[in-house]
Amino acid sequence: MGKTEPPGSKKKKTQKVAIILSTGSYQREAPTTVLRLAEKLLERDIEVNVFAFEEAVTLTNRDQIEHNEPPSLRKVLGDRHVYVGKFVDQLLRVGLHGAKMDWVTCVLCAQERGVENHQIGGSIVGTLGDLWKFVRGADHVIAIPTYR
Amino acid sequence: MKRFLVVGSRDLTEYVNGKYVPLVVEELRAKGHDVTLFLIENGVIAARDGSKAGKVLNGLSDKGARVYAEDVSCRARGVQTLASGISFSNLDFLADSIAEGFDNIVWY
Repeated sequence: MGKTEPPGSKKKKTQKVAIILSTGSYQREAPTTVLRLAEKLLERDIEVNVFAFEEAVTLTNRDQIEHNEPPSLRKVLGDRHVYVGKFVDQLLRVGLHGAKMDWVTCVLCAQERGVENHQIGGSIVGTLGDLWKFVRGADHVIAIPTYR
Repeated sequence: MKRFLVVGSRDLTEYVNGKYVPLVVEELRAKGHDVTLFLIENGVIAARDGSKAGKVLNGLSDKGARVYAEDVSCRARGVQTLASGISFSNLDFLADSIAEGFDNIVWY
C-alpha cells in the first residue's frame, strides 16, 4: 500500500489534543481507534486528554476480565479475549516516561452505570469542569460522535 | 483559506446524515478551503472500487479534496482496491496531520 505524506505547509506543532469519547465496550470500533490514535500522538510527544462520556465510562471498569474464547475460536483468537481497559492502562503508563495521557471518566455517567467505584487505577472520575479545562487547553479537540 | 481534516468513521450509507459528509467536503472546497477526507473504520466501505459511494468520493477528488482510506480498516473489511481518486493511508498519516497540518478537525 502506498505511503502518503501529510499536507505540505506546516503550522505550529500541536502539543495537546483533547478527545471526547462516548462509545463503550463491545459497541463500536471507536474506542480501539481512539487508543490507536492516542498511542501515535503520544509517540509524537503530544499530550492526550481523554474525557469518557456515557457508555465510554465502562471502558475503564476494572472488573472486566479476560474471558475465555470458545474452543472453536481459540486457534484464531487465542485463549483469552482481552478488554479495552487493559490497553487504556498501558497507555496511561506510557506517560511515566514521555508525553502523558490523562483519562477522565464522567462522574454522572459512571454513577448511572454503577462503575464509579470500579475504575482502573489512573482513570480519574471527574466533571464537566474537567472537560472544559481539557477543551480550553487543547490545540485540537476531537469529538467522537455517539452512534444512535 | 483554512485546512480542514474530515474523518469519516461511519459507513456513509448506514445513517441518513452520512450523505452530508461529501456535501460538507464539497462545500468547503467550493469556498476555497484545503480539505482532506480521511476514511477509517466502516468509513472505508464507501471507498471500495465499484461502489456507488466510491463514485461520489471520486467526485470530491476531482474537485481538489484529498481522499484517503486507512489501510488497517481496509484490510479488516476486505477492501483491496479503492475507487479512483482515493489513496491508501495509515494512522501515522492521521497522527502527523493532527500534529502539524490542520486548522480544523471534524470527526464523523
